[in-house]
Parts: sequence; structure tokens; C-alpha cells
Amino acid sequence: MPDVNRILVIGGGFSGLTTAVDAAETGAEVIVIEKNSYLGGRVAQLNKYFPKLCPPICGLEINFKRIKTNANITFHTMAEVESVSGGPGNYTVTVKLNPRYVNDNCTACDACAQACTAERPNEFNFGMNTTKAAYLPFNQAFPQKYVIDSSYCKGDCAKACKDACKYNAVDLDMKPGTITLNVGSIVVATGWNPYDADKLDILGFGKVKNVITNMMMERLASPTGPTAGKILRPSDGKPAQNIAFVQCAGSRDESHLPFCSYICCLASLKQTTYIREQNLESKATIFYIDIRTPGKYEKFYWKVKDDPNVSFIKGKVADIVQEQGSDDVIVTAEDMMTNKKVRMKFDMVVLATGMEPAGASKKIAGVKYNENGFALPDSGIYPAGCTKNPMDVARSAQDSTGAVLKALSKANSSGQGR
Amino acid sequence: MAEQVISPDLNFVKDIIASGGESLKKCYQCSTCTVVCNVTPDDKPFPRKEMMYAQWGMKDKLVSNPDIWLCHQCSDCTAYCPRGAKPGEVLNAVRKLSIRHVSMVPLFARIVQDPKLIWLLFAIPIALFFVFMPHKSLEFIRFDDKMVYHMFAPAEPHMYAPFVLKMIFGLTAVFSILSALTGIKRLWSGMKAQAGDVKSGGNLTGDIISSAKTIFAHSKFADCNVNRLRQWGHLLLVYSFVGLSISGIWALIYSYLFNFTGPYPFTDPMKLLSQASMLAFIAGIVIILYNRFAQAGKAGMGSYFDWIFLTIVSGIGATGILALALRLANVSAGYAAFYLHVVFVWLLLAYAPYSKFAHLFYRTTAMVFARHTNRES
Repeated sequence: MPDVNRILVIGGGFSGLTTAVDAAETGAEVIVIEKNSYLGGRVAQLNKYFPKLCPPICGLEINFKRIKTNANITFHTMAEVESVSGGPGNYTVTVKLNPRYVNDNCTACDACAQACTAERPNEFNFGMNTTKAAYLPFNQAFPQKYVIDSSYCKGDCAKACKDACKYNAVDLDMKPGTITLNVGSIVVATGWNPYDADKLDILGFGKVKNVITNMMMERLASPTGPTAGKILRPSDGKPAQNIAFVQCAGSRDESHLPFCSYICCLASLKQTTYIREQNLESKATIFYIDIRTPGKYEKFYWKVKDDPNVSFIKGKVADIVQEQGSDDVIVTAEDMMTNKKVRMKFDMVVLATGMEPAGASKKIAGVKYNENGFALPDSGIYPAGCTKNPMDVARSAQDSTGAVLKALSKANSSGQGR
Repeated sequence: MAEQVISPDLNFVKDIIASGGESLKKCYQCSTCTVVCNVTPDDKPFPRKEMMYAQWGMKDKLVSNPDIWLCHQCSDCTAYCPRGAKPGEVLNAVRKLSIRHVSMVPLFARIVQDPKLIWLLFAIPIALFFVFMPHKSLEFIRFDDKMVYHMFAPAEPHMYAPFVLKMIFGLTAVFSILSALTGIKRLWSGMKAQAGDVKSGGNLTGDIISSAKTIFAHSKFADCNVNRLRQWGHLLLVYSFVGLSISGIWALIYSYLFNFTGPYPFTDPMKLLSQASMLAFIAGIVIILYNRFAQAGKAGMGSYFDWIFLTIVSGIGATGILALALRLANVSAGYAAFYLHVVFVWLLLAYAPYSKFAHLFYRTTAMVFARHTNRES
């Protein structure tokens, strides 16, 4: 049994990082397990936060710095928790470590990528472009270490990467490994995935060229994204001037996600500002059931509503097709205010897809989940942030701090707290 | 926007819920239903607004609303409803209440619509034919070498049996026609009052002809997605009813004008028509029933109102085939099958303007009205 508070944090996104630094700064020992090759999770993919519209990387960097300077925190990237057993105060956790093929000698000099002959789809940009198979996940990635994707870069390609590295950082002999950890309590912060838009058969994603998701829009608008921040539609690279936002794409729908994803209304409102900033003539239309901007976020809604080039149509979109003979997109909805079925043409359509909890597609043995895949609190195991409920970044941070308190009280003893 | 005072009729809401629309309150007015509906006009589309009227108990807006009848129960709305509010089932329940609302004899509507009165529904014709038909025995002994169904029963057959049978059906048909005409008149004036001063298209005959064309071509059904198969089942049933009606009248002509009575040989053109119709009827009902079960997950299971009607229609088919088979096999139990057949046929005829069959009259009326007021072209 550990003689100090030792807490395992599963997931190194915004909630996991907040949990880790808050717990570590009380003196607890924290281990963070992250499945990606970088920390920061979904927030790292965002162009801007609402409502202040500042870049999220600022907030992440503060946390990265706190992690770097705190000896109580260790973290593993490219690692996945396989199972959890034991009980409060004494959990045994097995963790699978996947090989990065790049060791700590890496200085992120880019020589391996320049030498690399293979390319891979860039999942950080939702496949909208490619990277070399030796790559840095994104330019501000933490840790600043390259990754070699062995499924694309083998044999001569892998050798070329290795030969190009002056620092002996490429290690092609790395093997998957398993470690066993003994911890007192666990915070599950595995976060969320964008709901799979392919499942929304009537909304055209994957069939109609210029239908994208809101998370793709974040990457399109980001200076580090596939178009260097210019919002160009996928089919022909034409600047998208007239964009529709389709709210509740999969959320609040028994056949998909039966719950409200909380952030999509604000995300779409925010994304209208991306387009409007790029071009004075540009137009945005939001199709909605009802605009949900809780609390102070209502002001953000009012601000966007004041823009005459942003229109709101009350009525859910249930049909999206490509215009015959062009790449434009025809969207059908009932405009409930005029009581007419309307068919409108847009350059591009953004589906405001919701949050599917990571537990919906992959459950950790030993953690309890509800029917939608949200993790449930259990004595000694606490979900934080979007693992528990859909929430925005600010609430995730608050929720994570709350999870720290609960985890600390269980970490060192079987239910007695201290 | 003009101010409107709404007086909700809570009993009407309860009636809808009790009639198969129990999912009504789940609707959150997103209008997915209206968009996926291929049958609705673009202007003031349905069924989203009907769901709101139904939730709010706005009976007047619903019972005389042509849109509830323009709906063909494709159930595309139900399949795509994100809340499981099943607009298709709710509108079906509303139609049932609309039938009751315009009915000439509300008691008849109740008997066929209320599951608690199912015993009465069947007891009436069973008793009717038992009491009025001129036989007093149910011992099915062999009457003759040849079984003759219009003599109705093998024991103590009566020369007046065919006449009494025709009298009962004749009077029932008169009652049904009167009921349907009354209902059509009430529905039409209700729709006219609801519509207010809508410009009418003028040519009523033209509107009737174009509606009839749509109905006989089943072109509205072709717009359905989920219940695509139903188009063919329904089409076969409609044409088999037409065929059976024609052969029925033909048989009357034979017996009264030519004194040529049944059973008719299978080579007779009238008999050929009725046999072809019977086959279409069987195929139609099989397709409809299969589709009902196959699509229940997407389209909903339907209500008592649907199933009692399907039972009557299937009952006609099943007892008809059974009676025919037994007659050909010369087994006198065929008379019992024929007795039940007559019971089912009477149920269909007597309750036509009160059961789900009434859609024949009221959907047609609504389609004509919609064309007449330029709601539909």
C-alpha cells in the first residue's frame, strides 16, 4: 500500500491536466496516462475558446509549465490503461505503453521528418491533410518530441529517419510494454470524441463534399491547421463565404446521443465569428431547435445576434444534399417562424456534432459507466470533466478541482480519508 | 404576430394518448418530421404543427384539419424523430378522433374504436345473422351433394335465405352510405370553417378527378421511404376491393336479370374477376401485415384502431378462402366458415365510415379540399 497520496489520472486533456497539477500542488504524487502522443486533448485542437475568443494553447501552456516544474507529476504519453483492480487506497492498474520510436534525446529539429519518405493522414486535423510519418503532432505539442508512425514508415523509410537524426533519438527497436501501477485513487478524465457524423445518414456527411463537422471547422480556422487558418471549403479550396451551421447534429436524439452536448450552440456562435472576421461580406446561418447558452454565455449569444450577417432559423435540418452540377450544398428545414419548409443553398455546411464520451466506444475494465458511456463515481474512482457529463472547458476545470478533493480523501486509506 | 387565445381541451389530449398517441408529449418541436415528410406541402407543412396542436389540446385545429388526412402514414417522421414522439402514430390517433367527431352515429364509432367494446363489435353481427337467418340449427349435416352457400346453412334451409341475406346487406349498405355522406359533409364544412376565407380553385369536378387519379395511381405512397413496400400492398387491396365490388354487382345482375344463381363455374368471367381479386386481396393483406411487423421498429406498432381494421380485413380473407376450400372439398363445416365470412364482411361494410376504412372517404375529401383551396396541386 502506498505510504503517500498517490493518484492516477487517466487522460491528459484539460480535465486530466487540471486534476494533476491541483493534486500535485497539495503534495500528492500523480501519474498521468495519456493515449495520444501529446498532452492537451481536445482543447489542443481548438482554434479559440468561447466567450473570450482567446487561443486555448495559452491556458494549456500554463498547465504544461506547472507539470514540468512539479516533481510530483509523472506522465506517460501513448499509454492506455488496460484494467483497474483493487479498491480505495490500493488499486492495481495495468498500463500498456505503445512505442513512439523516438526517445528523450529528441530536440524536435525536424531532420527525421525531412528524411522520412512516407506520409500519413493527419488525424489531429481530422484527416484534412497529411503529415510525414515522422512527425510532431502539432507545432506546440508537449512533449516536444517527434513520433514515428510505424504502420506507414517501415524498412528504408524508418532507416532514413534514423540516419537523419544527429542526436540518436530515433529508436526503432522500441517495443510495446506493460507497466503496473499501485495507486490510492483514480481520476478518470478520458474526455470525449466528436460524435461520428457518418452515422447521421440524412445530414450528408461523407456523401456531400462540403459538409464538415464543428471540430473540423476549428482546425480549418486555426493558424496551425491544414489551410493555415483560411476557411476554405474542402471540395475546391474556394473561400467559404456563406456557411450554414446545423445544431443538434446527433445530440438530443434517441438514435444517436440522447443528451444535450452543452457546448455545440456556443461553438457554432463562436465559429460564426471566425468567418465574419475573415470576410466582411461573409454570411452565417444557424439552424437550431433552441439556442442553449447557459448563464453568462447568453451575452455571447446577444453579441453574435447583433451581427446582421448572422441569421438564425428555428428548425432542425433533416436533409442535406449537394446541388446538382455544383459543389454547393442544399439544406432543408422548416422555418418555424414563417411556417414554411425552406431549401437554402450554402458554400459549406458545418454539423454541430456533439460529445460522445470516450466510455461509449472504449470502457476501462474496473470503471463503472452509465448507459451512454459516461463514467460514474465509485468509492476511490472519480470521473472529471466531460467523462462525467458534457461540459465546457471552464466547468471541466472546476469539476476537476472537485475531483481532486475527492481523490485526496480516498488516496491513502480505505475510505477513512485524512 | 396576432394575439391568440388558446383554450386547451385536456380531454382531447387524453383521448389522443389513449388512442395510440402515448408518445405525444415527447415532442420537443424540432421539426425533423416536417422535413423528412415527402407528402406535405412546403407552405404550412405538417406534422410538426399538428404535434403542437395535439400537445396543447387544440381540438378545433385538428379534427377539421385537411392536413391530418393528407398524411399517408408513411412513418418517415416516426423513423427519424429524435425523441421517439412518433408523429405518424399521433396523427393516426387524431384521425381516429376526427372520424368520431364527424360521425353520424357516434355509438358506432365507439364500438369499433374502443378496445373495451370488442365483444360487442363481434356480438352484433354474430347475433344478427343467427337470429335473422332462417335456420335454427348449427348441426352441420350434409344438405346436398352440392354445397350452396347462399342457402346459408345446411340444416332447415329456407328458400328465403338468399333474400334475407341480401336485405340485411342492402340495408347495411344504405346505412353506411348515409354515414359516409354525413361524415364527408361535416368534414367539408369543418375544413371550410377552419380555413377561413381561403381562395378556392373553382373547378370542384376537376379537383375530384385529379384526386381520384392520384389515389388510383397511389402516387403519394410512392413518396414514402420507410414504408415503401406498403405502396404495393395497399394498391393490391384497393384494386381487389374494386374487383370484388364489380363482381358482386355482376352477380346480382346475373341472379336478378338472368336468374342465373351460384355457385358459378370457375370459367365464368365474373367468377374469374372475383378469383383474381381474391388473389390480389390475399397478396395485399400479406404484404401489409409483413410490412407492419418488419417496420414496427421504425414506424411503430400501430394502435388498436389499426389492428381491429386489419383483423376484419384479414378475417374476410381467411374465412373466404376457408369457405371456398371446404366447399370444393365438399365438407359441410364450410357453412360455419361462410357464416363467419358473412360476419366479417358485414363488419367491414357496417363500420366502413367509422373504422380505419373511413380513410377512403375522408382522405379523399381532404385531398379534394386541399386541391380546391390550392393547398395541393
